[in-house]
Amino acid sequence: MTTALEFTDVVKTFGTVRALDGFDLHVETGEVHGFLGPNGAGKSTAMRVLLGLLRADSGSVRLLDGDPWAQAADLHRRLAYVPGDVSLWPGLTGGEVIDVLGRMRGGLDDKLRRQMLERFELDPAKKARTYSKGNRQKVALVAAFSAHADLYLLDEPTSGLDPIMEAAFQECIAEVRDRGATVLLSSHILAEVESLADRVSIIRDGRTVQSGTLASLRAMTRTTVVADTREPVTGLERVAGVHDPEYDDAHGHRVRFDVDTDHLEAALDALRAAGISSLQAHPPTLEELFLRHYGDEIDTGEDD
Amino acid sequence: MGSLTGTGHLVRLILRRDRFRLPVWLLAITGLTAFSGAAVRSTYDSPESLASYARTVGDSAVGRLNSGHQVALDTIDGIVANEITIVTNVGVALMAMFLVVRHTRAEEESGRAELVRAGVVGRHAAPFAVGLVAIGAAILLGALITGVLLAVGLDPAGSVAFGAAHATLGLFFAAVAAAASQITYGARGALGIAGGVVGVTYIVRSLGAMGENALYWVSPFGWAQGVDAFGDERWWLLAVVVGAAAVVFGLAAWLVTQRDAGAGLVQPRPGRPHASRALGTPFGLGLRLQRGLLLGWLVGLAALAAVYAAVVPLVPDLLEGNPEMAEMLQISGTEDMVIDQFLAYINVTLGVIGCVFGVASVLRLRTEEEGDRAEALLATRLSRRRWIWGSLGVTSLGLGVIALGMGVAMVVGYLGVEDASRSGSLLAGVLAQLPAMLLVAAVAFLVVAWLPRFAIWVWAIVAFVMVEAMLGDSLRLPEAVRSASPYFHLPLYPSEAWTPLPGLVLLGLGAAATAVGLTGYQRRDIGR
Repeated sequence: MTTALEFTDVVKTFGTVRALDGFDLHVETGEVHGFLGPNGAGKSTAMRVLLGLLRADSGSVRLLDGDPWAQAADLHRRLAYVPGDVSLWPGLTGGEVIDVLGRMRGGLDDKLRRQMLERFELDPAKKARTYSKGNRQKVALVAAFSAHADLYLLDEPTSGLDPIMEAAFQECIAEVRDRGATVLLSSHILAEVESLADRVSIIRDGRTVQSGTLASLRAMTRTTVVADTREPVTGLERVAGVHDPEYDDAHGHRVRFDVDTDHLEAALDALRAAGISSLQAHPPTLEELFLRHYGDEIDTGEDD
Repeated sequence: MGSLTGTGHLVRLILRRDRFRLPVWLLAITGLTAFSGAAVRSTYDSPESLASYARTVGDSAVGRLNSGHQVALDTIDGIVANEITIVTNVGVALMAMFLVVRHTRAEEESGRAELVRAGVVGRHAAPFAVGLVAIGAAILLGALITGVLLAVGLDPAGSVAFGAAHATLGLFFAAVAAAASQITYGARGALGIAGGVVGVTYIVRSLGAMGENALYWVSPFGWAQGVDAFGDERWWLLAVVVGAAAVVFGLAAWLVTQRDAGAGLVQPRPGRPHASRALGTPFGLGLRLQRGLLLGWLVGLAALAAVYAAVVPLVPDLLEGNPEMAEMLQISGTEDMVIDQFLAYINVTLGVIGCVFGVASVLRLRTEEEGDRAEALLATRLSRRRWIWGSLGVTSLGLGVIALGMGVAMVVGYLGVEDASRSGSLLAGVLAQLPAMLLVAAVAFLVVAWLPRFAIWVWAIVAFVMVEAMLGDSLRLPEAVRSASPYFHLPLYPSEAWTPLPGLVLLGLGAAATAVGLTGYQRRDIGR
């Protein structure tokens, strides 16, 4: 596999704010890479560094085997970009905007353009100033997916889309992945990333806090177990790696607990001793992974 | 819930948002008035100079064109009023217009007004709140102008009348802007309509004053001046302006009920589902995005140039009747020389007004960046260099077209009243301003490229070259200051011979500024 894009120890500051603070990211060619983080974590800054709009203060950034700052225009021949907050020229129609962006990129596929307009149910004859947020977003999506790019940089591309359009978007991603294109998908809609991404990186305060396949991220964390037993469970507290067991009834016949995945076996042994009548175990959802990293912020409701 | 519920909150919101902007408007207009009033006062310090002013400047066609018909021109009070009136008239009208459009149509266009209307806020509360602030600002400006005139030592009753007349003008144009904001969907369109009304009514008063006919009384500028501050003071005319303002405000309030929130009375039409071929290049896109701006300035400036040219033949008549003027201008006899001097003044005036387009056009680069639209373009194969060249190409072409348009309009305006003998020099005189217009635009680009956060301050450069060119003599600016303006270095053609060197030097400086700017633009971050 070859590398589609890579950040190594990248720092980007705005005045006293360190938007990227020793940031690392590695995306392989052909993968759909989920890029997760709360608002203000540095996702958009990373995207803009990749686009050559911002210049990194230190560290190295590679994009499609080139330097995104020095070779911006050449590299852009091969990529398509969708921002999360699309602003358009108010006096141009949606169709005109799609064509302008397409031509600047080096031409777009008319058949694909028609197909995308249909898929996203967008009226290209309306002036951009009359579009809603969702419709502006569709203009950017149609413009991006009407071109055959090698790399798609999508910065929260579905904000403002309804569930039907969300499905249309997922269809687009599946198609470009089948073609062998690479996708960097920044998002905070976890279900979207969970169903699309091969690998995931989680960014917080300008650093990558975790990166890997969903499976490997889950392996590093806890499995949630819910069990009904014939006898009360004893000794679970003493098993290493078991966290906060909770007994649902007075007799201790139903227990729920989290266990570090590498201690799963010992925990099950303790259950077996009490006689298992029913057992549910599920790996952590992305929500749980995410909340583990951001739980404190979400608790305090801090957001921008 | 009444239709005015929530007005108080909105007034506070407007004052909070404009806590710097509004004082800057007020202080700039007041400051310029004070400067020019003090300078005029010290210039006309003898009975002879007072007497000659009335016979020369005051009765001249040019004087009437700029300042309308001010009374008491044989007194220092009347002279000061006459000299400052163009600044105060236009200043108060523009202040009211920008204030109202910024808080009505621009708010609706951005969607912020929706947020406000969703609260406990009545249908008329937003325009009413803006109206209140605009009325307050107009009255305050009127009071400040009165204060300045009193400080200069003019007649108290006349000073109050002059200030009050300006307060009512502010009121009237606030009402015009409120009505214009109901018509279009976009803020730029509303500004275009309101600005057009300001321009047309000003020119109508000028024509009325020059021809001493009823046109003078068609324009609100005529009513305000007709109060005759420092003369007989017809106070009742103030009530006429206020009444007219009330009628236009009423019209605006009625128009509000005729449309949906967020929409204009004129609905945007559907456009082309595909882009034309011309839109495929950065230059083509820039031209499309700026064509409204360019067309507006072209039409406005061509009209102004034609009016100026049409009054040229009146200038020698004036000379015959006023030997003192010939003496003052140190002209020995020939009519042509007087005309040449007049034309030289007109050329530089058109040149400095024309550079406003250049600066507005250069600033589009910055607004494209701030609006994240540059980001979308630069995420394609388009390089920064080509994007910038495309936009600057439109700026340069636009300035060229405007200079040419003004020149042609001068020729046409002059042909309307005289023969073709001067066509060549009329056209050349305006075109000779082009190097200075380009240099001002290039300096604006330099600022946008290296100091993007201070981009808005390039308007200070425009204000400076305007003051230098139009008021430099009466303010008695030292030569060291005046030489900072590129216009100061161009020959006063046709009264002086034209030489290519100054223009070439300005062009060279412009090219250098552009090159340095381009380097800066390629090194810095793009975005907010």
